[in-house]
This record gives sequence, C-alpha cells and structure tokens, in this order.
Amino acid sequence: MNAPLIKLGRAGSFALLFFLPAPILVIAATSFAAAGYLRFPPGELSLRWYLEAATDPRWVEAFLTSLGIAGIVAVLATAIAFTGTYAGHRLKPRWLPAFELVVMSPLFFPHAALGVALVNVLALTGHLGTAGGIVAAHVVVTLPFAWRPIAVAMARIDGEIMEAASLLGADERRLALGIALPLARSGLVTALLFTFIISFDEVTVTMFLTGPQVTTLPVQIYAFIQENASPVLAAISTATVVVTLVVVMLLERLIGLEFFVAHDPA
Amino acid sequence: MRTSATPRSLGWLLLPALLVLALFLGSVVLLFLNAFWTKDGVSLVYFRQIVERPDYHEVFLRTVSISVVVALASAVLAYPIAWLLWRLPRWRNLLLVVVLVPWLVSLVVRTYGWLVILGPKGFLNEALRWLGAIQSPLPLIFNDLGVVIGLTHVLMPFSVIATLSVLLQIDTRLEEASESLGASGLATWRRVVLPLSLPGVFTGIGITFLTSMGAIVTPILLGGIRQKMAGTQIYQEVVYNFNMNKASAWALCLLLLSGLGLMLLRALESALVPKADR
Repeated sequence: MNAPLIKLGRAGSFALLFFLPAPILVIAATSFAAAGYLRFPPGELSLRWYLEAATDPRWVEAFLTSLGIAGIVAVLATAIAFTGTYAGHRLKPRWLPAFELVVMSPLFFPHAALGVALVNVLALTGHLGTAGGIVAAHVVVTLPFAWRPIAVAMARIDGEIMEAASLLGADERRLALGIALPLARSGLVTALLFTFIISFDEVTVTMFLTGPQVTTLPVQIYAFIQENASPVLAAISTATVVVTLVVVMLLERLIGLEFFVAHDPA
Repeated sequence: MRTSATPRSLGWLLLPALLVLALFLGSVVLLFLNAFWTKDGVSLVYFRQIVERPDYHEVFLRTVSISVVVALASAVLAYPIAWLLWRLPRWRNLLLVVVLVPWLVSLVVRTYGWLVILGPKGFLNEALRWLGAIQSPLPLIFNDLGVVIGLTHVLMPFSVIATLSVLLQIDTRLEEASESLGASGLATWRRVVLPLSLPGVFTGIGITFLTSMGAIVTPILLGGIRQKMAGTQIYQEVVYNFNMNKASAWALCLLLLSGLGLMLLRALESALVPKADR
C-alpha cells in the first residue's frame, strides 16, 4: 500500500481514538473554569467547584457510599468467584459448563430489564432503597466479571503442584488458601479492581434501587443533571474519572491490561 | 485436576455462587410472575396494555432502530481504533488506557460530557458561533441525533475491545504470506485480515446492540422527554407510576426483542463468515 494512504489511515484512526476520551476531557476542563462553562477565549481558572463539592455533605456522603459499596462488592464478588471456581476446578462436575453459563447470564440481560427484575426481588425481601440491596444487586451484575479472570488463572495452575502439596500432607484448607489462592492471584487482583470500578460507576441498574436513605454517586449525578446542571457536577464527575483512572493504572502496573483483549484459553 | 481424594465437602464452596444465582433467577421468575399473574390467574392483560397502544409501537420501533444504528456505527468507528492498537504493539498498553478509561468511567459522566459539548449553549455551538459559522445554535440534542451520538460514543470501547481481541489472534504469517505473494496492503486487509476479524466485529455488534436496547440514562439526558425508548419507559413505570406489572411486561418485551435481534445477528454471521474462520 502506498505510504501516504497508510499515514492518512493512521491519522484518521488516531483521531477516532482520541474521540473516546473527548467528553471526559471537556468535563475536566469545565471543572477548572471559574465561570462554570467553557468559553472562547478561555476564562480564569479556579478550584471553586471542587471546594463547593467537598463542602457539600450530599456529595461527600454519596462519594463515600459509592466507595464503600464498591469496596464491599469487590471483596464479595471476588471471594464468591474464587470459592466457586476453585470448587469447580477441583470437582469438575459434569454440569459445570451449564453452571458457568448461568453465572454469565446476567450479561445477556439488557440493563433496563435487569433493573426491573432486581426491583421485583428486592421489594419482596424489603431491601429496596437500602445499601444492602444495592450491594446484592451489584454482586449479581459483577460476578461474571470476577468469575472469568479467576477461572482463567485457576485453569493455568499446574495440577501437579496441587497433587504434590496434597501428597506432602497439605489439608484442603491449605490447598485452597496456601496453594491455589496465591497461584491465582493475578486473576484475583484483576477481579477485585474490575468489579470495584464496575460497581463504583454503575448507574443504569442502581437507579432503580436507590431511595431516600441511600444513593450512589453516579445516580446522584444523574439526578442533579436533571434538576440543575451546576458546574459542581463537572468537579464531581472529574473526581469519579480520577478514581477510575487510578484503578485502571493500578491494574496496568500490577497485572497488565492484556486481560481485556485476551481470549480465554478455555 | 482430580487429586487422589477430592472430598465431596468441597461442593459447599459452590454455595455462595449458588446464592447469587438464586437471587438472579428468583428475580427473573418474579419478572414473569408480575408480568403474567393477576388476581384472576394467568392473563395477558399487561401485555395487551402495551401492544394496543400505537404510541408504544413507536417507542419499540425507535428503540430497535436506534440500537441497530448505534451498533453498526460503533462497529465501523471502532474498527480503525482496534486496527491501530493491533498495528502498534509497542504502544498498545498506553493506547489501551485511552480506550479502557472512557469505557469504565460512569456512563452518566460520559453522557454529561456530551450534554456539555452538544447543548444549545454547549462547547460546540459556542465554538461555531465564535467562528461565525452559525447564527443560532444547532439542535444537536433533545432529539434522536443526540441519543445516537451519545450511545455510539458510550458503547464504542466495547466494539474496540471485541474487535482487537480477535485481531490479536490472527497469525501474522498469514499477512506476510499474502504480501509476499504480491497483494497490496489494502488487498491483504480486505481479503485476509477483514474476514478473519469479522467474528470480533459481530461480537461487538451483539454487545452494543444489547446494551443500547436496555439503555436509560443516555436516552433520557440526550433525547429529552419526548424521545422515549423502551428503557426510559420501563424506568418511568417503576419509579413514577409504581406499576411493577406493566414494567415487568415491558421488560419481557424488551428481552424478547433483544433475543430476536441477537438470533438474527447470529444467522447473519453464519451467512457472512465462513465456518473455518470461527
């Protein structure tokens, strides 16, 4: 292919690539504008919107709620996926593929339908509008994302190591926590960080489940956009972007990002 | 691996996962109960309330057509990005961050970004006015165009990831063979790389179609009150009308339509992609 065409294609592809973070960058720029909106030429810079957000208890509370829920969801989903994949790996029941298909099935539900379904069950148990209800719903939503990386890491464990440990007298507890857990740690770290960030940023399902007592940061951002689009929103939004960026960078440092584009060996 | 004595008690470790599945399956069962069960037994009354309303037909039609447009647009726009990441292995990790961060940032934040860019007093309209290109702001949001732009952008990273993961599996020797046999770069792409990457493109189309069908936040914020989609209608039934029966019936209609869409896509994929490539 002639060189100019390749260069053109490459430039076009780069333009499309940087289209992806564009709205986020515009929000970040807005959050530092003293005027509260972007104008030409750009006006004075200021941190006033960040100060306003940090001194408003509604935003502080929603931010802490979201961090707390995401932390609990990440630990729960990862622990459940670890115990489940470990048992599946050891026992290899014939129905395991069918079981894993059910684990993955929330992925095939449009989020609006999943939201209604979860409202039905949480209303029945009286957990609608509670933090516990949101945690339970988020575990359902995130479990597939925890299951896959851990199952992949588990499948890579050399069976002979487990065999040897067992012959040398390691009991079941030791096998699971002393051998399999550390050997599957890349999957566990990926699962923890991935489910944390999905839960932290989830809005479509969560907006069905919040109530007067408890709301999450993305749902509150949504509510405020509809009521009054104050520039404080830009500062808050930028804060969520920073949390997301930190988690992605952590994942990149600790494990690498290949997981997202790697095909299952299974 | 089966060590000599795999105790059956390990089965208990599946219990937590089973509980989560029970919660999910229970919610699906309740979805059916709420949609079909009335005081007088099984009835289609809630579905009739939906099917008999011509304005709802329009909502379904808009939901499906917007989702199809969005899925195709994000597949086409994402392909060059995936191709770029595939061709630049040394930069791949860094460029992946540029794809993954927007993907993982809350979609309410990304939608808000489009509101700031496309709104009547937004970044784009102000810039165009400053340049003297327009007198009055262009109507870029509170219509289907805004929803399509917003949803396409929100879902594009999915398509990039799906396409790239398939591109990365292509044996580079195939490309070398094609070029050493005299095919130009473009011909190699069209006749070797593109057919091999199609399964990834189809996966991306499936995921983005499904997500778009169930979207709520982006259609409400960028479409306005009148441009209803199935998701916004469902949300309204639950949160403002407290009508769980009708909302459940809506959700089942949405599931049915999404399932049909995915089956059609599968059929299309089998017709277009030769078996050996999959």
